[in-house]
Amino acid sequence: MEILVYGIINSVTLALMALGFTLVYGISGLPNFAHGALYIVTGFIAWSFIHTLKLNFLLAMFLSLFVTGLIGAAIYRLFLIRVRGMATSEIIASYAIGLAILEGLRWGGFKGMTYTLPVFIEGSLQILGVQVDLQRIMVVVVGVVVMGLLWLFTHYNRIGLALRAMAQDERAALMLGIDSDRMAVAAMFLGSFLAGLAAVVLLPLGNIVVEAGYNVLIMAIAVCIVGGLGSWIGAILAAFLIGFVQILTVVYIESHFQIVVALLAIIVTLILKPSGLFGRQKELEERV
Amino acid sequence: MKAKFVVPWVLFSFFILLFSPPPAALSAEKPIIIGCPLATAFLYGWDAERAIRLAVEEINAAGGVKVGGKKRPFAVEVMDTRDLEPGVPVSDALLTLEKLILEKKADFIVGGPVRSEAALAAMDLLSKYKKVSILTTGALTPAYHARVAENYDKFKYCFRISGEAVWMVTGEIIPCLVDIGNKFKVNKLFIMVQDVAHARGGGALIAKIMAGKNWTVLGDPEIYPTGTTDFSMGLLKAKKEGAQVILIWMDMPESSILLKQWYDLKVPALPFGSIIAPAEQPGFWKATEGKGEFCLANVVNAGNAPSKATPWTMKFFNAYTKRWKIEPEGYGTSSSYMAVYALKEAIEKADSLDPEAVIPALEKTDMMGVYGRIRFNAKNHQIIPSLDPKEGAVGTIFQWQKGKRVVVYPDKIATGQIQLPPWMKK
Repeated sequence: MEILVYGIINSVTLALMALGFTLVYGISGLPNFAHGALYIVTGFIAWSFIHTLKLNFLLAMFLSLFVTGLIGAAIYRLFLIRVRGMATSEIIASYAIGLAILEGLRWGGFKGMTYTLPVFIEGSLQILGVQVDLQRIMVVVVGVVVMGLLWLFTHYNRIGLALRAMAQDERAALMLGIDSDRMAVAAMFLGSFLAGLAAVVLLPLGNIVVEAGYNVLIMAIAVCIVGGLGSWIGAILAAFLIGFVQILTVVYIESHFQIVVALLAIIVTLILKPSGLFGRQKELEERV
Repeated sequence: MKAKFVVPWVLFSFFILLFSPPPAALSAEKPIIIGCPLATAFLYGWDAERAIRLAVEEINAAGGVKVGGKKRPFAVEVMDTRDLEPGVPVSDALLTLEKLILEKKADFIVGGPVRSEAALAAMDLLSKYKKVSILTTGALTPAYHARVAENYDKFKYCFRISGEAVWMVTGEIIPCLVDIGNKFKVNKLFIMVQDVAHARGGGALIAKIMAGKNWTVLGDPEIYPTGTTDFSMGLLKAKKEGAQVILIWMDMPESSILLKQWYDLKVPALPFGSIIAPAEQPGFWKATEGKGEFCLANVVNAGNAPSKATPWTMKFFNAYTKRWKIEPEGYGTSSSYMAVYALKEAIEKADSLDPEAVIPALEKTDMMGVYGRIRFNAKNHQIIPSLDPKEGAVGTIFQWQKGKRVVVYPDKIATGQIQLPPWMKK
C-alpha cells in the first residue's frame, strides 16, 4: 500500500514539474530550459511577498504565479523570439537565461536553508493504512485538477484551441489567422505559470534552494523525453512510470539509486524509442 | 569678516589633525593576505567567511600583527570554491585555490576547500606552493591528517583546527548515543545518510560500532542522493521496524524536509543529526515552523551554539551576533575565527611570514580559545580534541527545545538535558 500511495504522490509531483515544460514545447516547439529557474524564482517571489510585503498567504501565492507567468512571457518576447526556429540556439538561449536567473538569485543573497513557504494544510491522515501528510494529498489534488483544467482549456477555450492548432500544424494555424508569436507568448505565460504552480504546492514541503532549479529541469526533461516531447498525455504517463519505478527502487533496491532511474529512463528511451511513448517525431523512429 | 570665520576653522582643523591617530599608520604597512577558499553559497562557507572577517577586524582594530618590528594588518581575500554544490568538479575548487595563491598573492590559506574530496586534493597544491593552510570547515575526513603524518615533509603546510570524523564518531556521537540508550532505555538505530564520502563512511562506522554495543542497527544505512526531496519511504520503514533513534548524516539543505516529514508522520524515534546542516542554523526553527523540535545536531566545535565552554565562548558568540546580526550559525564558525588568532600568534612567535618559521610556531600553539584548549598534534597537525575544554578542543551536540539550541553534550559544557518528543513517550 505504501508503494501505491507514495507512488501516486511521487508521480503527480513529477507530472506537475514537467507539465509546463511539455506544454511550451508542444505548442511552440520551444525547449524552455529556463523552466527550473522559473520554478525556483516563483518560490522566492512568493517568499518575498509573504515576508517582505507581508501579503496574505493565498494572495502572495496567486500573485507570484502571475508574476512568473509574466516573466516567462517577457523571456519569449525579449529573447527567445529572436532565435525562434533555430533549435540549438533556442536551447542555448533558454538555458543561459535560466542560468542567469539562478546564479543571479544566488548572487543576490538568496542562499541558505531558511527560505521556506508555509504549507496550505497542516497535519496528516491515514490512507489505506498509510500515513500521509495533508500537503502531499493536496499536491495530488492540485495535480489532478490542473490536468483536468488543462484538458478543458485546450478543448473548449478559444485560446486553448488556438494553442492546440499551433501544436498540430503551425502553418495551417497561421493560414487560419492565428498569430503564432502571440500564441507562443501565451504558451510561455501558461508554461511558466504551471512551473510556478508546481513550485507553490511543492516547495512548502521543503525549502527554497537555488540548486533545486537544476533538479527540476532534469526531472522535467526526463519526463518529457520518456513521454514524448510535446505530448501531454505522454508526459503524464511517463511521470507515473518514472514515479513508481523510483519508489520501487527505494523499497526494493536502494534509495540512492532513485536518481539513476530518471537518467536511465532517458538513455533507454533514446535507444529504444527516441520519440518517446507518445512522441510525434516519427523521423527519429525512422532513423533508428 | 571673512578672517573672523577662517581663523577658527584653521585652528580647529589643526587640532583635529594634531590629536587624531596617525592617518592609517596601520594600513600603511603591507597587509598580510589571508586567502579563503570557501563554498560561500553554503552555511559552512559563509559562516566561516564571517568569522574570519570578524577575527581580522578585531585584530586590526587592536593594532594588527607584530612582525619584523612592524604592526601589519590582516587582509582577507575570499573566493567561492562551489565545492559543496552537486556536480561541481574538485578541479574547480583547486583552480580557485591556485587563483588565491597566484593572483591574490595570499600569504596564508584559512578556511577550505570545504568538501573533503577537494580538501584532500588541495594538499598537493599547498605543498607545491609552500603555503601554510589552516583548514577550518567542512572537511571531516581523517585521511587529511593521516596524509600529513604519513608524509610530513611534503604536507607539513596543512593544519586543521576543526574536528574530524573519527573523533567526532568515537569520542562524541557514540558516547552520546550510549547515554541516550541508558537514559531512555532505547537501543534500535536507523541510519539515513547522504550519498557523499564523509556521510557514507560516517554512517557505516556508526552502524558497526553501535552493533557492538548491544544496539540493533536496522538494516543497512539508507543512502540518499544529494538533492532528495522525499524521505517518506525511509521514515515509514523506520517506523515499521520500530526504530527508536534515527541517525542522520547529511549536509544538503533538503535534509530539513526529512525533519518536517518526521514530524508530520509522527515517527516515534529521536532524530540525531551527526551532521545535519539546516538544523544547525538559528533560522531552522522558523523555517520548519517548530517541526524540528527535539532534533539533535552536532556542530563539531563549541562556540557554534551558545555555551560557556570557556570565558571566550560567549564573548565570541556575542561579538559575532553583534557584528552580523545573527548568532553563529553552525559548524565552521568558531574554528574559522580561532584559526586567525592562532595564525596571528604563530606569525608573531616566528616573527616572520616564512612558512618554515610559521609551521613550528603553529605546532607549538597552546592557547585557551573559544572551544577549549587549542593545540595541534605536532605529527599530523590535527587539533587535539577532548571532552573537557581545559584539555583540548571540545565539540557540541545540541537539541532544539522550545525554539532554542540547548547544548546537551559533552557534559562539561551542557546547558540542558536531552528530551524525547511527546509521541515517543510511553
